[in-house]
Amino acid sequence: MALPILPTTMVGSYAMPGWLERLKTEYFARRISRHELDEIHDTAVKAAIKDQEVAGLDIVTDGEPRRDNMVDYFLERFPGVQIDRTSKKFYYDFYDSVVKGKLPMASLGLVADFKFLQTFAERETKFCVTGPHCLTKRIRNEFYPSEEALAMDIARVMNMELKALVKAGAKLLQIDEPYYSGFPEDLPWAVKVLNTLVEGVDAKIGVHICYGNRYGKPSWEGSYRYLFPGILEAKVHQLTLEFARRGGEDLDLFKEFKPPFELGLGVIDVKIHDVETPDMVAQHIRKALDVLPPEKIVVLPDCGLFHLPRDVAFSKLKTMVEGTRIVRKELGK
Amino acid sequence: MILNLNHLHGESAGATARDVVETVYKLVEEGQIAPNEFASLRIQLDWIQYKQNFRDIVSVAQGSNTRGDALSIMDVHIDTRQVVPGCLRDGILRAMARVNPETSPEMRDQDRLPLEDFQSLRTSIVWDFNKLYWTRLRDWEEATGKSYERSLPGGVSDGHQPQAIADSVGDFWTLLKDMEAKKNLPPEVYILEIGVGAGIRMGLWLDKFRHLDQQRQTNYYPKLRILLGDYSLQTLDMSKPAVKEHTDLCSFMVLDALNPLKTLSFLRHKIMQVHSTNVYDNLPDEEVLRRDGRLYFVQVRAYLPIADVVKIGETFDLPPDKITPCVHRLLEGGMDTLGDRARGLAFWQAVWNAIRLEERLVLLEDLPDFPFPEGLDAAKLEDILAGAPSDFRFHLSSGALESFINTLPLLHPRGYLQVQDIFVTDFNAYRMGFYGPGKLDGTLLSWVNGVLLREVAERAGYDVHFAPFHYRKGSKTSILYTTRRE
Repeated sequence: MALPILPTTMVGSYAMPGWLERLKTEYFARRISRHELDEIHDTAVKAAIKDQEVAGLDIVTDGEPRRDNMVDYFLERFPGVQIDRTSKKFYYDFYDSVVKGKLPMASLGLVADFKFLQTFAERETKFCVTGPHCLTKRIRNEFYPSEEALAMDIARVMNMELKALVKAGAKLLQIDEPYYSGFPEDLPWAVKVLNTLVEGVDAKIGVHICYGNRYGKPSWEGSYRYLFPGILEAKVHQLTLEFARRGGEDLDLFKEFKPPFELGLGVIDVKIHDVETPDMVAQHIRKALDVLPPEKIVVLPDCGLFHLPRDVAFSKLKTMVEGTRIVRKELGK
Repeated sequence: MILNLNHLHGESAGATARDVVETVYKLVEEGQIAPNEFASLRIQLDWIQYKQNFRDIVSVAQGSNTRGDALSIMDVHIDTRQVVPGCLRDGILRAMARVNPETSPEMRDQDRLPLEDFQSLRTSIVWDFNKLYWTRLRDWEEATGKSYERSLPGGVSDGHQPQAIADSVGDFWTLLKDMEAKKNLPPEVYILEIGVGAGIRMGLWLDKFRHLDQQRQTNYYPKLRILLGDYSLQTLDMSKPAVKEHTDLCSFMVLDALNPLKTLSFLRHKIMQVHSTNVYDNLPDEEVLRRDGRLYFVQVRAYLPIADVVKIGETFDLPPDKITPCVHRLLEGGMDTLGDRARGLAFWQAVWNAIRLEERLVLLEDLPDFPFPEGLDAAKLEDILAGAPSDFRFHLSSGALESFINTLPLLHPRGYLQVQDIFVTDFNAYRMGFYGPGKLDGTLLSWVNGVLLREVAERAGYDVHFAPFHYRKGSKTSILYTTRRE
């Protein structure tokens, strides 16, 4: 499927409705079965896909309603990661997890979720996974000599999974690494880990790096300058960064370092409920066009829409599409 | 009959409990209380520690639906502290008569002058008195010859304790140092004080911070941007002298403590420290009763006891039917609307001293549009109450919750909120003491439900901790502080 210029997409997650939060909690309280919860998740994924398509996005994700948070969905699937299932009070909490031995190579079973997305989506799809650096920060390491060593083994296991996703038809993959911004000193080894993760994966690969969105709040503040020049070593095709909330100052880094990547341009602030106007979106894109050609820009929100009410998230996506259309028109596309 | 002892103050509890039981049995023997009334009678013995409060010695709260029809639930409240020998019989009889369906509305109200209809405490007229107090603080203080601070228990605000301020300064300096080491120190460091009082705390805090900064040669002081917020312009003006040495760093702004974000949304995620002292306990509040698995909302109606109506009428030469309009004029236009200022102020104080609150209990499920404070709804409240006592009455702390939820988004990722106040940190405490509302000078105050704050904060991404204020012996205040939840 050919994509238009300035394609629009989400970072990954769509609004998590209050009713689904309650049902997840019901599951943890053993008041509904796993089978029922799976069916509820399937329905929520279909609804999220439909909302994205109606909003006019060119590339859709599954909206990630199956994921209690960006970490547990993966760690639960990792053989060798021990999870304390009593450690969670609310579904969104993180499990306490620990690694006490070498991680075995094993499938994480993500392909089924990708295939579900592919079955119900009528647009191009993107599948998102949380990156090894972020996962490493949430695991208590009682075996590996360093965080880097643990992250490297996580990357090896996930590399196999990414290849399975490609084999199943995935063409666009996104690695989410929000913890880079909290631990900029890790960047040299984090990029090596990233390259191990994507080695031999025959798909377009983006890396999403933000300043955190836990509970809908930033976890850190600062400038993306810490990414450069280290990130230039990353063997990926796209960097997805937040600019709507933080302003466009860091766009100059693309002028200064001329990275080979496409830019996933965050144009929607996901931490406020006010819906932007199409003009505001267009303005963000025009600013980026001063630095990069349109062929190298993908338009998306700053981060996942997980914490926004559904109606707000939907309106923001529609606005984003409308704003993008304004600029496409200006470009004669 | 069930007799609940809701306090640990044992001094006169035994005697009162005995008196209550003997009085009720006597009334049953005399046929004044029917056996079926006796069976459903539930008497709550409280100890109201506030000398000025809203309670009669005996009062009754009856269950009611939204149409005003009586439900079987009924609580008789007796203030153990006010009980004197021989007063119970009449009090209990009057209370029972009030809820007797055969008593006409006129007869029910013959001993009082209602100032409003039943409603949420948070919208009650008593909050208009509170607002009047803060906007006319100077006049009140001049008239009484006593500052607000001198009315506080201990006669001084815990917020001004020098060592507590020094420790707060030290902690904050350490945070800035750490951020600087990580190259994350912002060029401007915002600090917000909600409810400035006389400005003394902020003045002392800045003095100490400047001193420490100079001593350690870190040059953080010029980066500070101090925001002093209060909803009373008069209070803001009164706070200026206390921070006069730091004026260049300070901005004074009229700010609604219930929603600081409304004024300061441009500083979302940018404020390093938000602080308040004795603000939450003075924000609109309401109570909920949990009984037999169901939740009842406590509605109130402010009234003046008829004896006070007569006294106020005589003192101010007002016929009884003119008192309510005069009260409304006072609240809308201030003391000057009642002839001269001194007379207005005296009328204000007389009414405030006399004002009482009567209560009724409305099933929460009858109120589908009940305006829960932000961060809370019926389902969440049920979840939170899962481990709570099955039979107790607690504060919803609506104003505190609203303020809290509308302050958190202002915090920088490394920022924190510190609230020095009176908190209930365990639901069981509500069965061992009275936590308001009470009157303090011209204001009203309630302890803040720290359990609800803690639970709501968790869903908003913060852990809440309560540290007892150990700097003054006997202090009942604690310091709430937030840490980010991972």
